[in-house]
Amino acid sequence: MNADKTAVAVKDRIDRILRSPAARALASLAAVVLLGVIFNADGAFFKWGTHRDMLRQVSVFGILGCGMTVVIIAAGIDLSVGSLLGVSSVLFSMLTIHSGVSPWLAIPATLAVGAAFGAASGALSARWSIQPFIATLAMMVFARGVAKLISGGQKISTAVQQADGSYRYVDVPAVFEFINSSVLGGNITVVTLLFLLCVIVTWIVLDRLRPGRWIYAIGGNEEAARLSGVPVRSVKVFAYALSGLFCALAGICQAAQEQQGDPEAGMTYELTAIAIVVIGGTSLRGGTGGIWLTLLGTVIIGYLEKVLSINAVGEASRLMLTGAIIVLAVLFQKRGGS
Amino acid sequence: MSVLKSLMISVSIMLAAVLAGCSGAGENRDEGGEAAGAKWVIGMSQCNLGEPWRVQMNADIRRAAGEHPELKVVFKDAQNDNLRQRAHVEEYVSSGVDLLIISPKEAAPLTPPVHEAFRAGIPVIVLDRRVLGEDYTCFIGADNRKIGKAAGVWIAERLGGRGKVVELKGLMTSTPGQDRHTGFREGIADTGIEIIFEADMQWLEPEARGEMESALARFDRIDLVYAHNDPGAHGAWLAAKAAGREREMVFVGIDGLPQEGQAYVRQGILAASFEYPTGGREAIETALKILAGEQTPKEITLRSKVYTRENIDSDGQWLD
Repeated sequence: MNADKTAVAVKDRIDRILRSPAARALASLAAVVLLGVIFNADGAFFKWGTHRDMLRQVSVFGILGCGMTVVIIAAGIDLSVGSLLGVSSVLFSMLTIHSGVSPWLAIPATLAVGAAFGAASGALSARWSIQPFIATLAMMVFARGVAKLISGGQKISTAVQQADGSYRYVDVPAVFEFINSSVLGGNITVVTLLFLLCVIVTWIVLDRLRPGRWIYAIGGNEEAARLSGVPVRSVKVFAYALSGLFCALAGICQAAQEQQGDPEAGMTYELTAIAIVVIGGTSLRGGTGGIWLTLLGTVIIGYLEKVLSINAVGEASRLMLTGAIIVLAVLFQKRGGS
Repeated sequence: MSVLKSLMISVSIMLAAVLAGCSGAGENRDEGGEAAGAKWVIGMSQCNLGEPWRVQMNADIRRAAGEHPELKVVFKDAQNDNLRQRAHVEEYVSSGVDLLIISPKEAAPLTPPVHEAFRAGIPVIVLDRRVLGEDYTCFIGADNRKIGKAAGVWIAERLGGRGKVVELKGLMTSTPGQDRHTGFREGIADTGIEIIFEADMQWLEPEARGEMESALARFDRIDLVYAHNDPGAHGAWLAAKAAGREREMVFVGIDGLPQEGQAYVRQGILAASFEYPTGGREAIETALKILAGEQTPKEITLRSKVYTRENIDSDGQWLD
């Protein structure tokens, strides 16, 4: 009798683990990796370089996803991440390439501007009760305009236009080369390490600090959170400001990887950022989910793109396959949740 | 309520300031000479300023017009929207410009307003992309297929007739992408050039870098990368450099903008960049002829240049 009970308890436990979003996301990841093992493009999938490059390529999206996770858990959404990435990459390039400002100054300045943009979105939605979708949509359009305004519509590159229309050529700043490089014997890129740093920072904020608990509380039930004394407005502004900060870091990484600041950079990246959060298993309803899920979601999307790319799959089939696989992964997550 | 009110008031003030700033800056920046001295007003309708190449086109027009104080050019950017561009053309007609330059987004939706302007007696110069029918004064554009073919011939010669090539294509649903692909394949036909990897990088540098990483992972030897635009070639170079393989192969791009392709050739990143001319200067030259009552050809095909390490300091070499 007792043994039966234990068996049931163990079975329950295993069931619960299997039903958890993390297990679901891991299963999706395994499926995508399996796809890579089958369609390995003459063994290209078995080289570490392929995986390093996949991680590099998806890191910028992952960094955006960190901020997006925080905002979505607070039952919000941030559509402005792509535009904020664009503004930051232009600003950082102008400071470092054109003005020769030290990175020790340029990086904090860019991060501060990103956080300020984010805080503005947060204030619009928290202080004036504009729906997050609308507030950040407005910010998306506005920030793209700012990127075009400060750059004059041109990419900020090492070819610097003079007053007479001719060009002067400057070197790529050392900080660009550093962020764009690989470390640990060339086995991992600096942008990937920066992404992992963002994951850890987000984990500390969400799981180890009081604002994290408040963010979950607001996402779960805003009214209840307010009544139990959570400073709802400030916490919301904080969540969006954190997202803006991560966008600025993503913009710095993007600029370093392109060796220029492109005012068009980050167009439609908000959609990928939302997709990786949702595929990871964080619900758009808010109040649940977590950063480790987003890490899994990021790698799932990364592998999906990489497998299609090394096999040189045509663009049309690639779009259709990506759409179909995203739906499958999300459906899989939903079944786990219910 | 009062918060909302003050917010709306401040937004209105900002809007007014921005509009005032735009028209003020427009007066100073866009006109070719003194407003009082300008004899002719030219309306320029650009389909979008998201691409550096189109920013360059406007800059070329502005600079060419700047040499002629009798011209004043007004610029409008349709932000990649057919209907907005249509409205811009109609605005130019009703404001009575002396000549219209349009670089249309798409042929079919912009043919009617262009015809209307032309029939209202306004000479129309169509730049880069075509409109349907014959109701315009002059079409000025370059031939992507010819440029792609020239690139193919140059590449075959550079590689001595044989080699493994990666082709990073522009958006293949766009005509320039298709033409730069078809022309290139014509250029390398009947040679030992083998395309070992091709991918659509949608004109985007980050995409090109990702695709090139896949090509590098798959193939141990690549001789040359042909990208449909210079940012694509630059992205490929960044990928090869990260893998320590940038010296193994050469990179060729298209567009040849001063701050992109030409700069990359000068910096030793690209072996060659094929110019896709904007036609901005030619448009102003043609406009002056039309306004002076001279005859102009119905169609002007722009010649383009190739920039290589050898000729970059002598401003490139004309292709025939």
